[in-house]
Amino acid sequence: MKEYRVLEIKQSVFEDNNKQADLLRQKLKDEKIFLLNLMSSPGAGKTTTLTRTIEMLKEKLRIGVMEADIDSDVDAATISETGAKVIQLHTGGMCHLDADMTKQGLEGLGTEGVDLAILENVGNLVCPAEFDTGAVKNAMILSVPEGDDKPLKYPLMFTICDVLLINKIDVMPYFDFDLQACIERVKKLNPDIQVIPVCAKTGEGIEDFADWLYKETIKWQT
Amino acid sequence: MHELGVVMEVVRVVEEFVRENDVEEVDTVVLQVGELSSMIPKYIYDVYPAAVDGTMLEKTKLDIEIIPGNGRCGNCETIFSVLQNHATCPNCQSTQFELLSGREFYIKEIVCY
Repeated sequence: MKEYRVLEIKQSVFEDNNKQADLLRQKLKDEKIFLLNLMSSPGAGKTTTLTRTIEMLKEKLRIGVMEADIDSDVDAATISETGAKVIQLHTGGMCHLDADMTKQGLEGLGTEGVDLAILENVGNLVCPAEFDTGAVKNAMILSVPEGDDKPLKYPLMFTICDVLLINKIDVMPYFDFDLQACIERVKKLNPDIQVIPVCAKTGEGIEDFADWLYKETIKWQT
Repeated sequence: MHELGVVMEVVRVVEEFVRENDVEEVDTVVLQVGELSSMIPKYIYDVYPAAVDGTMLEKTKLDIEIIPGNGRCGNCETIFSVLQNHATCPNCQSTQFELLSGREFYIKEIVCY
């Protein structure tokens, strides 16, 4: 029998990605580009929310959007109607974006002159939470039909986000969605998170999100 | 799908390690997975052959050690298993606790020649 040896590696699998993410954040800081990573389940309203937000900010900031999906370019087409710069990224079946893919996406988008870059991550509450994309801030959308118990089921996602938008509040009367209970559950996981109830369809509450995004972008640039 | 992407990352890290350390042949890759991480050992085993296909880790074995998810109660400092006690302190029933372990996903070591 051949002699064998054991070599200790003891490396977190996410470590490599974390390093890449930190490098990317530093690069963005140098270039004065604010990158927001926007996450949610499929159908929570990421694209509609973004469209509304871009409408409010496009006079003040130069915006670029990266749409990440497993397939299709319907989201990129919708965003391009706002006049914002947009690129569609295909993940080839992968359920999340990592820092390296985000960096490639930014290169593809062309960030020269861009103040605010937004990454619309793959619709998924599990995997994107595990991978730091290199974004300056993380935001997520939870929509009312998904239920107020989601913070209990996907705690990590709620833990890593700086802002939570609770979308589709116009249909709250038709669902057993307890807004107060939901906010309490989220705050227990993440006391610093900012919760903004919105309705992307009517535009209600979007101004608060746009304000936050604008202030954070300016703060990052100075 | 989730496990496959992550296991492919494992393969990249191990391959780099193997090259840097002049390892001739790898027999087994040993991972440590926290029971509160989003990685399910059964699925990691299932996707492993696909992740190593065509790489220098093809034909290697995989071994997974589980790290328990333990929390320390924020009220009475009792240390307890988060899963077995449904995230509630068995001593004082507080639900405030500090997670001590269980989220890990480490490449622990490789057995090689």
